Amino acid sequence: MKRIVSGVMLLALVAGAAPPPAAAGPQPPPLPAEHLTVAKVGPKSPHWVYVVDYAFNNEIDTRVYLFDGDTYRRIGQIDTGFSPGVNVSPDGKTVVVATTYFARGGHGTRTDVVEFNDTATLAKTGEIVIPPKHTQTLASLFTAAYSADGRFLYTPYLTPAASFGVLDPVRKTVLSEIDTAGCTLVFPWGVNRVSSICESGRLLTVTLDAQGHEATRNTSDPFFDPDKDPVFAQGVPLADGYAYISFLGEVHEVDLTHPKPVMRAPWPLVSGQEKGTWRPGGVQIGAVHQSLGKMFVPMHRGGEGSHKTGGSEIWVFDMKSHRRTARWPVDTKAAGEVVAVQVSQDAAPLLFAATEKADLLILDAQTGRVKHDEKKLGQTPQLLLNP
Amino acid sequence: MSAVAAISCAVAALVCQLAQASPAQDYMLHCMGCHGTQAQGVPGKVPPLANALSRFMRTPQGRNYVLRVPGAANSALSDRQLADVLNWLAVKFDASPAASNLAPFTSEEVSRLRHTPLVSVLAARSAVVRDLAATGPAPPAQY
Amino acid sequence: MQSFDRMFEKSARSLAKRTSRRSLLASLGQLLTGAALLPLLPIDRTARAQSPAAGAKPTADEQNCAYWKFCAIDGFLCACCGGTSTSCPPGTQTSPITWIGTCHNPGDGRDYIVSYNDCCGKVSCGDCFCNRNEGEKPMYRLSRNNDVNWCMANTESNYHCSVSVILGVAGE
Repeated sequence: MKRIVSGVMLLALVAGAAPPPAAAGPQPPPLPAEHLTVAKVGPKSPHWVYVVDYAFNNEIDTRVYLFDGDTYRRIGQIDTGFSPGVNVSPDGKTVVVATTYFARGGHGTRTDVVEFNDTATLAKTGEIVIPPKHTQTLASLFTAAYSADGRFLYTPYLTPAASFGVLDPVRKTVLSEIDTAGCTLVFPWGVNRVSSICESGRLLTVTLDAQGHEATRNTSDPFFDPDKDPVFAQGVPLADGYAYISFLGEVHEVDLTHPKPVMRAPWPLVSGQEKGTWRPGGVQIGAVHQSLGKMFVPMHRGGEGSHKTGGSEIWVFDMKSHRRTARWPVDTKAAGEVVAVQVSQDAAPLLFAATEKADLLILDAQTGRVKHDEKKLGQTPQLLLNP
Repeated sequence: MSAVAAISCAVAALVCQLAQASPAQDYMLHCMGCHGTQAQGVPGKVPPLANALSRFMRTPQGRNYVLRVPGAANSALSDRQLADVLNWLAVKFDASPAASNLAPFTSEEVSRLRHTPLVSVLAARSAVVRDLAATGPAPPAQY
Repeated sequence: MQSFDRMFEKSARSLAKRTSRRSLLASLGQLLTGAALLPLLPIDRTARAQSPAAGAKPTADEQNCAYWKFCAIDGFLCACCGGTSTSCPPGTQTSPITWIGTCHNPGDGRDYIVSYNDCCGKVSCGDCFCNRNEGEKPMYRLSRNNDVNWCMANTESNYHCSVSVILGVAGE
């Protein structure tokens, strides 16, 4: 007995554990049986962020992660097919996904759908089958977008001819298809207007009737020069329209509150000396905290052709004075260059920044202090939503 | 690439305006990606220009259509460049003798018509093709 | 991307030194050269891409993102996926539509027009991802955009990899 006891103690010591307190005493009570459940999403937090992972190495297997910016934990995932457009309904209850599926995984009959996912459960709740014309492109806020009252859902088609579908997300039907004469993407405004950017530098705006058919359309004068200084198609949502940032750092704000867009005078992100050297770049190239009136832009040093290079700094601008108020360096060695930014709209806002190393940085949006670097959140996260 | 001298012609026939390298290159850079190396288009997706463009050019209605389709109306090509590319295409990809006798597009005609893009391209195409078919060979209504 | 740009500059210079003018011209195939008064004809290379010469092997350059021909490519280099820079891997289909750009060849100092077709019908190759964007424009200028899936018009529209096919010499 003594030999056995000392043998057990030796084994325990070797294993690094404390010797069992009562080799000679009673066993602890058995663990209770566990019950398999499905985790709940929990109450919505302003610090949630939906991270769209384009999963380039496995592009039929893209997904969206719902990540908690306070607890640094994944809450769950929405599967999003091939080359998706993702957005959230105005009431925050639905994540909409416009995507493509092939009948045999990577090949076979193509079916394009707009899928609806309940944000309270992250479960799919329905779909609309659309013509197999879904615009298959990189992550964008403007390949699936709602009207302001959630009654219409717009999704652009590209075959390569350009048009967009008007859908009824409640009845789950396709209402119409609107030819855009080559102009691309959907920038909704109000309850029944959709704008689209044209190759000529103009903005096409279509007004719909109550049934979702075209009532009128107008085309603006060119508001940027697509040859000399094109704007990123990834418009930055404003309280009254969108800001289109150019490759050389000019901000073209478009007021969409009127039936015809009103273009404000462009203002620069860069000084005369910086222009051409410091440039905005990435995929989601700007985010605005509406009540603080601050815009965040990932910036890098580079030349022509570097517009997809991620930021080595994040610059902060005051939207009223147009002045830069901060420059926050990014630890690109540790985290990578920033390709997407998004900011929460609450009073203690977080700035989310996805990098080309697939990190998600979480910063205090008022001080720039990095609170957390979530390593490898997906494969190629490129779009961030904070509804 | 050496510049190619334009051949001047007493008669402003279509073929005489083609002796420049740049329409071929403009086609390559601005149109060929979708319309194809032989201007053949993609069935169901991209209309052919071969044996089609020249037929549209026969009537004012057809010419109006050609200049207002998205690829022409919103193209980055200048009015002059667009006229040259279309004139080049009309002869290059149509073997019929009638093609070389068409009145070429002028940059004035292009600038007058291109800036009001068509709202519904397919509907406009059907109407134009129907009318053309009544007076000679017509481009396909569908593609 | 900064370090990549520096690496590219270095390798482009060394590439220029290593590649002989003769071998470059040999690989240009049926380009019209010399005193032609005719415009350069767009040559149908897509048909040839479906049936490359037996035993065609990709060069080391074709598997390198810094290769001058890849100046605005976005995707997986087909040369790493069973094809070459001018041939799609077996069992895939070429895209009939594409976008066409211009790249500078430091080896002979010329600008070449290149066609960035996609190869379609299989899942992502997943090897040799390369994204450069010289002269590339956002998707409203579709003929200069490398973001969209150029397999979109194929019956099998899944994206597998990208090629870069020289179409001709760019004019001044």
